[in-house]
Amino acid sequence: MEGRLNNMWRLTVNESKFVESALQSELRVDGRGLYDYRKLTIKFGKESGSSEVQLGQTHVMAFVTAQLVQPYKDRPNEGSFSIFTVFSPMADPSFEPGHPGESAVELGRIIDRALRESRAVDTESLCVLAGKLVWSVRIDLHILDNGGNLVDAANIAALAALLTFRRPDCTVGGENSQEVIIHPPEEREPLPLIIHHLPVAFTFGFFNKGSILVMDPTYVEEAVMCGRMTVTVNANGDICAIQKPGEEGVNQSVILHCLRLASSRAAATTKIIREAVEAYNRERSSQKVKRHHTLAKSEVLGPVVVV
Amino acid sequence: MEIDREDGRTPNQLRPLACSRNILHRPHGSASWSQGDTKVLAAVYGPKAGAKKNENAEKACFEVIWKPKTGQIGKVEKEYEMIMKRTIQSICVLTVNPNTTTSVIIQVVHDDGSLLPCAINAACAALVDAGIPMKHLAVAICCCLADSGYVVLDPNKLEEKKMTAFAYLVFPNTTLSVLSEGSSVAKGESVEHGIITSVTHGLMSVDDYFLCVENGRAATASLSAFFRKNFQQSQRDSSKAG
Repeated sequence: MEGRLNNMWRLTVNESKFVESALQSELRVDGRGLYDYRKLTIKFGKESGSSEVQLGQTHVMAFVTAQLVQPYKDRPNEGSFSIFTVFSPMADPSFEPGHPGESAVELGRIIDRALRESRAVDTESLCVLAGKLVWSVRIDLHILDNGGNLVDAANIAALAALLTFRRPDCTVGGENSQEVIIHPPEEREPLPLIIHHLPVAFTFGFFNKGSILVMDPTYVEEAVMCGRMTVTVNANGDICAIQKPGEEGVNQSVILHCLRLASSRAAATTKIIREAVEAYNRERSSQKVKRHHTLAKSEVLGPVVVV
Repeated sequence: MEIDREDGRTPNQLRPLACSRNILHRPHGSASWSQGDTKVLAAVYGPKAGAKKNENAEKACFEVIWKPKTGQIGKVEKEYEMIMKRTIQSICVLTVNPNTTTSVIIQVVHDDGSLLPCAINAACAALVDAGIPMKHLAVAICCCLADSGYVVLDPNKLEEKKMTAFAYLVFPNTTLSVLSEGSSVAKGESVEHGIITSVTHGLMSVDDYFLCVENGRAATASLSAFFRKNFQQSQRDSSKAG
């Protein structure tokens, strides 16, 4: 146990004093403004529903999968979704493999609350047979590199993956209309999920007893800050969730200032996410055209080779 | 009679390889390795103080953590961790940093067949990126046996399901293995042509297994060349930058 503690990364007193005194003059260690975000890149994987988000040095991957299950007894017409957060030991030497720790659970809960309570993901469209079979969507978030501000990056990754996920089309048939036939993607085009709005998270760090405010803290700043708050807003200006887990008390005016900052940035970030998703969808549909060509070719060649 | 593979490859043809190193910032070494659509991410945290329990404290210790794409870790993942740990232990120099633990973390990004060999190659690239002292690299390949007795290399997921048996083989990648004239011959079989790891699934005859080994070893030449070119290129780039 002591061996593990010896290997933990700890911020030196010099570094923390440097960060704090720089912030007194409104300077951040990496040269950003107080409310500037790092560079955001959104990439997608081969399968539908897999996204990779890089926010500066923070690297997060999200995978969305769905399977048919029995619905909850009190919600027979609604599907469900669940978020699993994996703080991979790859991201930070202090992350232990195995059971998720406090911060992993907190991150999962913030994103879950924003999507579920605000009804961003439409669960009624996930119902196949009322009371018997519904789609259960599972979102796996893998934190690969902890460069700070994991909540925002993971939130964007989850949204991007949900927007590009396609679930198989299924029809109800058979006698009594009780049989469900799931169509493979070659037969029928898989369907996207219905997402009503995009709740985007913005994290603030408080320094110097709440008088200095910073957006998108890096992992060095996170080790120095005395408090934090995450605000999840959507492009319509609705507040979907606010999370301020204890720590240093902060003035009301500062909280309102944070809310205003977050809602002013929500539209821009939503646009970035939607543009990335559009570009990916365009590329995928153009790839599908090529695929049909090669299929037709092999069908023609097949019989010839056998003879 | 040639086997018709879906993507038009010949039986001995590998899928396109891609490797990039130093992609993550916190780990001491990281690499991503993809063979066709199979992509694996590997990260290495350099020697940490203290060996784990039940481990020999006189030698360096390695731990491998395998993270699947979705779901919990099961028996399959634990088996992969054990195989990779043994493979890495045999290629790294264990006497340089005694009583330390080096962690290798594997994250599966996409699985389209031949996953374990892809992970071993990624781990080797990450170990090189981290600067862990190694005797030589390991080059891993998957060879499978079709019904007709044909050996097919580097299958994708659909091909793996159709095959009767397949073997994951890991060969050493020494500099001498490229120049066959200069290789030292010890008791008839040269040392560089040994097998580090071999994992088989399914039923195959002894002759078929040796056929797989022959074909696999021949293919490792191209994999080794890819490794070498990739590392030399990044060395040249970093020396230009510096």
